[in-house]
Amino acid sequence: MDTQQAVQYLDSLIGQTLRVHTTDTRLFVGTFKCTDAARNVILATTHEYRYPSPSAVKEVASGANDPEKRSSGTADSQNVKANMTSRLIGLVVIPGQHITRIELEETPEQVKVREVLQKS
Amino acid sequence: MLPNNQVRVSSTQVVSQTVCSDITDKFTNAASKLSTGQLVKDEYFTLFEAVGALEIMDSRMDSGYIGPGENQAQALEDDYDVTRELTPEEVLGIMDELLCHEMAWHMGHPLSQTLFTSLYLDKLLWPVPKTVEEARFDRANTNSEKEWSPLLHLVLRAYCLALVKACDFAHDRIAHEYYYEEEDFVTQLYNRTLLSQFDMAHFVKLIDQAISWIDQQKGTIDDKLRDAIKCRLSLRRGLLHALDEDEDIKTKSTEHFTTCLPHVSSLSESSSLGKRIPEAFSEKMQRKLASTVPPRPIVRIDFEDALAHLKRLCQDAIDLREVLDYRGPHNFRVAIWTLLSRKPQPSVYIRALTQALLVNNTNVLGSIPVKDFLYSDLTELVFPSSVLLQSNTDETEMPSDPRFQIAKHMDGFVKRFRQPFVDTYRCACLNRCRVRRTLCHTVVDWDQLQMEAEDLDEQLRTLSREPPLPLPNGDTTYSYPLSSWTYHQKLCQFRLIIELGFELSIYSPEELPGMYWYLSHICSTHLGHIDRIRTFIASTAKRNLSSLIGKKRHALEQQLAAQRSLRLLERLTTQIVAIDAFAISLHALYVLLVRHNILPTASSAQAYSSERLRYELRMKPFLPVSLPELVPYEEFRREAVLEGDSDTIVLDRATRAISEARKAWEATLAHGPFLPDSDGKVNKAPAIEEDWKRDIKDTMKACIGASIAIESVKKALAGRKDSSDPPSTPIGLRVEIPGIGSNARWHDWWAVPQVSPAK
Repeated sequence: MDTQQAVQYLDSLIGQTLRVHTTDTRLFVGTFKCTDAARNVILATTHEYRYPSPSAVKEVASGANDPEKRSSGTADSQNVKANMTSRLIGLVVIPGQHITRIELEETPEQVKVREVLQKS
Repeated sequence: MLPNNQVRVSSTQVVSQTVCSDITDKFTNAASKLSTGQLVKDEYFTLFEAVGALEIMDSRMDSGYIGPGENQAQALEDDYDVTRELTPEEVLGIMDELLCHEMAWHMGHPLSQTLFTSLYLDKLLWPVPKTVEEARFDRANTNSEKEWSPLLHLVLRAYCLALVKACDFAHDRIAHEYYYEEEDFVTQLYNRTLLSQFDMAHFVKLIDQAISWIDQQKGTIDDKLRDAIKCRLSLRRGLLHALDEDEDIKTKSTEHFTTCLPHVSSLSESSSLGKRIPEAFSEKMQRKLASTVPPRPIVRIDFEDALAHLKRLCQDAIDLREVLDYRGPHNFRVAIWTLLSRKPQPSVYIRALTQALLVNNTNVLGSIPVKDFLYSDLTELVFPSSVLLQSNTDETEMPSDPRFQIAKHMDGFVKRFRQPFVDTYRCACLNRCRVRRTLCHTVVDWDQLQMEAEDLDEQLRTLSREPPLPLPNGDTTYSYPLSSWTYHQKLCQFRLIIELGFELSIYSPEELPGMYWYLSHICSTHLGHIDRIRTFIASTAKRNLSSLIGKKRHALEQQLAAQRSLRLLERLTTQIVAIDAFAISLHALYVLLVRHNILPTASSAQAYSSERLRYELRMKPFLPVSLPELVPYEEFRREAVLEGDSDTIVLDRATRAISEARKAWEATLAHGPFLPDSDGKVNKAPAIEEDWKRDIKDTMKACIGASIAIESVKKALAGRKDSSDPPSTPIGLRVEIPGIGSNARWHDWWAVPQVSPAK
């Protein structure tokens, strides 16, 4: 990939929804606005997602929040589902050195369009 | 004034079927190809915006950051068990701390730094409860073996829920009126609700249950503590009712706020019984709030300050009811402005409530149509010929009839003027700095309105066949009632802008002589204008008298109304004369201080600022205004330094003016704040009257202070003449201008210098 292609690629991501994972295991989902050589990423209207705390997992495991689950016996199985906590934090800049993983979030329609464009 | 335009970001994301692909490597690779400083960005995204972005993983910016060594579970859950049993002392302590936070929020601090730092409230409010029953401390462990403690799960819970509901009422009230976000109040709720979805009855029921439980604990809980807790619960119930029914104009009831007051007083006595639990409040709660700002420390205010704020809030709300006793637009204006100019200024909640009571839809105070309100003010001030106000298109349907045309013109007038006119009242509800800023804008609007009113006057004059009034010099003139009324409004605003300038400490000491001169200039312009209005009312009254012989009753009513207008003008004249004379006297006194180089200055000798530049700056708001005409700088300078007058003349001017001012202020005080009705009835507003009188008495104290200062200068000047010193010798006096808030500053609008012998 030469510079021009790199710029073109990054440009194609502008305005798309990115999921950026950070070293402290949080996840940020927002609209990609800007990046630079150090891979600093600016996201707008960002939501912060955090893995459920141990106590929240315990709660879910005991089925306390959801009587239906308790009766159906899901709580007994090894896998429990706990929701990640999320909150809106707006415009953020994530320094490149803290980023562990970047994902692109697309609707199936967007994927189709992208694939068509790539082929042509 | 436009409604607050808030940007609200949607807090929920639309979740549709999405596909996620890992692009880490490709992204990293692409980014590494960029050269240093090169950016790939959205073309509409500016670096200016980027500055406002929160930096993730930076402890000062990122509220969600958990530092090295911090245990994730501890950091988020705060390691404090809100279901643990509490002693009565601890419950009391938590209640009082919550009240501090509630008041801090009323004072303008965000919830994230006040109430939302409470772990107890967090448990109740998040996740958003679907029923009131769900808003509880032990949401997760309903099946826990722990004993159900009524002190926690009934008493503290009822207190917390009632507090949140009270905040909901206050939030709703303020957010619906005109206020300045972050300046007056922060409405941000961080994607939570203040239980607005639940009916008031739930909360009252809970509080009542809690109170009856507490009543049964005689013997188990110490009497003093029991009383203290009960008092707090009763206060919550009182506040809940008071805030719920605050807008009920018809009942004019002050009952609920009045019941709160004794509780507030006894709170301060019993607060020492409580035990504070600092761990129950944590700044880390901000990690859970939807917030686009960096983490901020918890706001702490004294319990006594919180009580003082609450007490003032209740008292202001009670006194606000006096405003509702409507006796004409003039009295209404006096009442509103007096109440809202209290020091310290009534809180944003009271100011929002005042706005809500003031105008609702198209009615003033809930029952007076704005058109009637506007017409009453016209009648009170300029007493226009009755055909203007009585014509309406319903009664006269022939378009060629002059009365039909008059009605059409008057309708246009009402449409154009009602909003700006009502805004002259609403303006009092802003914070003091905004009052002045707003006036600087409206004064320009009113200038435009005056021109339009003049056009209307000319058209109406021919339609109503108004007879001209001959002037002594042989010319004739007409009354121009609408534009006269408009000009009066504008001159009042001019005066208030200058007076608020003194109150807000906008002018530097070296500007004081000039600004007091300008104040007196505006006053004398205004006095001339009032004289003109008076002449026309007198002649109209005379004409009515002769034309209405035979229709006795109508004539009598007209006569009484004219008398009322003349009485109002008389009062306005007395008050403006008082302001004028005081301003003249202070102007002369300051001129002497400047001449003898003893007036302190804010700018150094090398400063860029100059007299001319300062004058330009002060006149800036008035530049677009055509009337009263702008005073050219040269003329202003000559007047401001009293060029050509000797010290003796200036001194004499100050002495005479101050004695005239004192007389005029005494007369103003004797008149009282309110204009009596034609049947002699006066407003019953004892608290507001008290405020108004205190204001006038403070002004009179300032007058006495000024007389003393003038005497000191006189003595010093006389002493120097005897010794035949050259005029350049120092006069041997020291001058100090007491700042706003100091005891020696008798009145905010009157910066009276303190003159003492130099040591």
